[in-house]
Amino acid sequence: MKKLFSYMKPYRFLAFISPLLMIGEVAADLMLPYLMSFIVNYGITGIDINDSEKGSEIAAAVMEFFHGNDYEAMDIIITFGILMLAVTLVGGFFGVFCAYTAARAAQGFGNDLRCDAFKKVMSLSIQQTDKFTTGSLVTRMTNDITMVTDFMEMLMRMFVRSPMFLIGGTVMLVALDLQFGAILLCAVPVLAVVLAIVLAKAMPMYGLVQKRLDRVNSVVQENVSGARVVKACVKEEYEYNRFKNANGELKNTNYSVLKLMAVITPVLTVIQNFAVIAIIYIGGLNISIEKSGMDTGTVMAAVTYISQVIMSVMMTTNMFQSISRATASGKRIREIIDTEPVIRDGDGNYGENTDTDVMVEMKNVSFMYPETVGRPVLKNISLKIKKGETFAVIGATGCGKTSLVSLIPRFYDTTGGEVYVDGINVKKYKLSELREKIGYVMQKSELFSDTIEGNIRWGKPEASEAEIREAAEAAQAASFIEEFGDGYNTFIAEKGASLSGGQKQRMSIARALLRKPELLILDDSTSALDLVTEARLRASFKQAAAGTTVILIAQRIASVMEADRIAVIESDGSIVSIGTHEELMKSSDTYRDIYASQNKTNGSDGKAGV
Amino acid sequence: MPRLGPGGRPGGPGGPGGPMGARINREKPKNTKGTLFRILKYIGKNKLILIMLVVLMAVITAIDVLGPMFQQKAIDTISFYDGRLHVDLDSMRFYLFIMICIFACSGAMTFFQGILSAKLSQATVYEMRNDLFKKISRLPVKYTDTHSHGDIMSRMTNDVENVSNAIAQSVTSLFSALLTLAGVTVMMLYYSRIMTVIAVVTIPVTILVSSKLAKFMRKYFVRQQRLLGQINGHVEEMISSYKTVAAYGKEEEAVEKFWQISSELKKCSISARVWGSIMGPIMNFLGNFQYVILASLGGFMMIKGYGGMTVGRIQAMLQYSKNFSRPVNMIAAQYSSILTALAGAERIFDIMDSDDEIDEGRDNIDIASLNGNIEFTDMHFGYVENEPVLKGLNLSVKAGQKIAIVGATGSGKTTIVNLLTRFYELDSGSITIDGKDITDIPKENLRKAIAIVLQDTVLFNDTIRANIKYGNTEADDKAVKAAAATAMADRFIERLPDGYETVLAEAGSNLSQGQRQLLSIARAVLAEPKILILDEATSSVDTRTEMHIQQAMINLMKGRTSLIIAHRLSTIRDADMIVVVNDGVIAEAGSHDELIKREGEYYKLYSKQFAGQTI
Repeated sequence: MKKLFSYMKPYRFLAFISPLLMIGEVAADLMLPYLMSFIVNYGITGIDINDSEKGSEIAAAVMEFFHGNDYEAMDIIITFGILMLAVTLVGGFFGVFCAYTAARAAQGFGNDLRCDAFKKVMSLSIQQTDKFTTGSLVTRMTNDITMVTDFMEMLMRMFVRSPMFLIGGTVMLVALDLQFGAILLCAVPVLAVVLAIVLAKAMPMYGLVQKRLDRVNSVVQENVSGARVVKACVKEEYEYNRFKNANGELKNTNYSVLKLMAVITPVLTVIQNFAVIAIIYIGGLNISIEKSGMDTGTVMAAVTYISQVIMSVMMTTNMFQSISRATASGKRIREIIDTEPVIRDGDGNYGENTDTDVMVEMKNVSFMYPETVGRPVLKNISLKIKKGETFAVIGATGCGKTSLVSLIPRFYDTTGGEVYVDGINVKKYKLSELREKIGYVMQKSELFSDTIEGNIRWGKPEASEAEIREAAEAAQAASFIEEFGDGYNTFIAEKGASLSGGQKQRMSIARALLRKPELLILDDSTSALDLVTEARLRASFKQAAAGTTVILIAQRIASVMEADRIAVIESDGSIVSIGTHEELMKSSDTYRDIYASQNKTNGSDGKAGV
Repeated sequence: MPRLGPGGRPGGPGGPGGPMGARINREKPKNTKGTLFRILKYIGKNKLILIMLVVLMAVITAIDVLGPMFQQKAIDTISFYDGRLHVDLDSMRFYLFIMICIFACSGAMTFFQGILSAKLSQATVYEMRNDLFKKISRLPVKYTDTHSHGDIMSRMTNDVENVSNAIAQSVTSLFSALLTLAGVTVMMLYYSRIMTVIAVVTIPVTILVSSKLAKFMRKYFVRQQRLLGQINGHVEEMISSYKTVAAYGKEEEAVEKFWQISSELKKCSISARVWGSIMGPIMNFLGNFQYVILASLGGFMMIKGYGGMTVGRIQAMLQYSKNFSRPVNMIAAQYSSILTALAGAERIFDIMDSDDEIDEGRDNIDIASLNGNIEFTDMHFGYVENEPVLKGLNLSVKAGQKIAIVGATGSGKTTIVNLLTRFYELDSGSITIDGKDITDIPKENLRKAIAIVLQDTVLFNDTIRANIKYGNTEADDKAVKAAAATAMADRFIERLPDGYETVLAEAGSNLSQGQRQLLSIARAVLAEPKILILDEATSSVDTRTEMHIQQAMINLMKGRTSLIIAHRLSTIRDADMIVVVNDGVIAEAGSHDELIKREGEYYKLYSKQFAGQTI
């Protein structure tokens, strides 16, 4: 919690003022009973306000101030009545102002924390966000932070109130009689032990509650984004049961925490009441032995004070629940804040670029996904890709093509060997500078809920409208975009669900082209395009991406055969041969196999091939 | 709100809460009373607990009144006479003993009350969540296609949570407050009718003020929950597409956008809190106002001699007036959390009130006896009005045929699949299977007869085995392995350290795209459908693997109908019939050889596969 408290720093003034304002509210609360008793005693019961024993100098002075010496009982009622309302208003004003300062401080704190946590998430490496899972990160970012924020707000508003009553009550009680203090001394440890046990037990359980909530969130996410498959497989019932399980676990954990918490209130009330009983009894015993200074009034006062002390503890019970909840949530937020990105900026000390015409070089690269076991995905790969070259990669499913290219923008780090971009080790780059050089089109197009223009603009925020159109044109996307009623301003629904696979791919390509990157990586990103569109795309690339180094992963020979060089990756994750289409047709069995599988001799491809 | 055009998939009316905050949201005026009533109905589902809880609370409230009475009696055993204090220790011990009994009882009962109210709140939200989930699974695909997933998640967690908290904390205090109010009113009536009437008048004033305030304040609470949903949506979107965010160096922009929503949420929350905190002072003022009025009226009546008013009565009335305002203040303290819960509940019911997927089919066909003749007749369809995608498409598919559907991207190929599976509904025209209109077949049966593999594979955070068995839960291990072998997935699965028991990471990110497609195919194979649809199902699979799969599929699909959407020549060449979709109708159909000879659309699309240099 300590680290989280440091987020309170910018708001320390408000956080300081808020409890002070609370004192104003408490003072008003304390004044009201006096005013009420004035009304009853002097206005209604008819006790003389100036009576030496039962009168009140303060009350008399107030009446004299407003009415001089000539007033009736009814005047007393009305005067103190109006005063009462005035005090209520002033107290209310303090209360609202206290709420305002507390809300500003706590919500400001929550906002800072939330933004910082999200910033942290955005700096993490892919392997780390994968590990947290989306569902859990989403819960932490909203639910957990809300818990901590609410707690802070409560802390500020309760901070002064309870201790004021607690300390005040204790002092008064001990002043009355030391024996009464002894009762308190017995009651408080019992209370403390019960609270400590409950809290110690509840804290980890609240952590579990949040974990269960993650699970619920994840199931919902899976179902919402996989709705088509759930429906197609008629799995609504199955998924409902799966959800019911996750939900049931959440319910049960929640219930056990609440059950635990249910102990607190009754224990407190019982202790409070037993303390009252003890005070009456001890008072009675003292009176029976005729101890001096002990009378009915003392006993009554003691009862009032001890109730007040324990009540103030009770008032904080609500807080106790928040404390353990907030601590559990705070821990989960700290897990994010304390995580250091595995892949960090290099020192930016690029040194001398020795090899000026090589864009990408890999030296003995091997790679395994973090925290996996088994055989490595890539084995001992060495290659050089020249500037301006179109370099194609082809190979069996799961052979590591995507892994290979994801090492270039440092989505992951190699397990062995080095990767160089533009002659500089990728680990030396600042990540943003490295990634700026690269236009990366994923296998699975990822679009965002924004307009079409907004999505393409991702590639280059300052791009002019003409540039965007040009990129769309080059990506063969302009024609379908312009057919939309709102053209480039058409809003793309959740994750581009509103577009066909080929449309999504072309928009992703436009996005990458807009950057005019030095290196363009196309990871099987034309698979959903028909051949005519793809051919057009390739043709337009020649202009749009002239001089750009292109790394191209594809399944279709047609997509790669024009490349300057083609690398064939074997299913064990090594490169066996690199060469042009013609060379590979001669030298590589694997390549010939792939070619044959797409050009199967069934009598027709003779015509198709021409 | 601009939306999609032709060739696109869904579209439709805009939903609430664009996660980027790019969409402007209107606040629909909602019926607060209706929402409250519906929450109460949920609570009412657990009648037994509710009744027990109410009884317990009544007893506890009674004890709360009795306790001070005995306390007074115990203190009264101390008396002053003969010039000194006397104590009747015996009767004091008696009263104190009674007190011990009473408080032990009340302690136990308070404990049970706590447990019961925990049970009630948890049972209620459990049901609410289940119902909400069930509802989500019944929503048409269009809904999830057009609504922020993160926002839906937020409703499921944050909003339901708020309702749960309100039930756990507020419902019990509300009930006991009402009980106390009723008890106090009865006692007051005993002392003075007129003054009771005056006192009770404040109740409608209180209700009026609080409901007027609520009406004014609810916009802040509703906004607060919606912004929370937007944050959820933004986080979910950015993280699930994190690679693209990182590749384009958009982290800062994402943080900036997050900061915008988050700051707005901050402002909104402050307003909500401050307005919520006004309720306390107002109630306090009303309570004290009542006190003053009662005192003045009592004093006036006493002086004028009306209604036999005495000092004792006025004192008693004033004491009760204080008791009166305590429960009211208690409710006021819960005001914010109640309003938050109401705003959350509104968002929950908003989903629950959305229209279900249409499923009017009552014709219970036997799936096993289906042959798989599909007739598409004069299909017209558009995702957005006046922007038709299909314009009178006709297609007849014989049982056991393998049909390949080709055409330019966005020509409507996937739309045909969406309509056959009834993810979307036809505008006009019909689809029949074995002569039965698909709208007459219950969706469950229809979809059980069809297995579909989509380009964007969906895998669940579960073992590989469970993912393959998704389409057919009853299948045994042998069948699972056979299906994996057919889909050529067995080799890579067996190479994994945990084999079929490997738990897939979120969205299957520890597998390559191609491997994920193989798993999806294995899933479809295992389902043994009458109709198999492969929508770009092998686009990320290398062609050699694909060739093997096809050979295995040919055996498997004997006597079954398959529809294949693909761009690769190698995928479609062997089809019994290739249909070319163009501009919403079938441009031509025939075998590969026939179509090449015809030199039409198909020829244009495919003759260049290996000569793709020029076009």
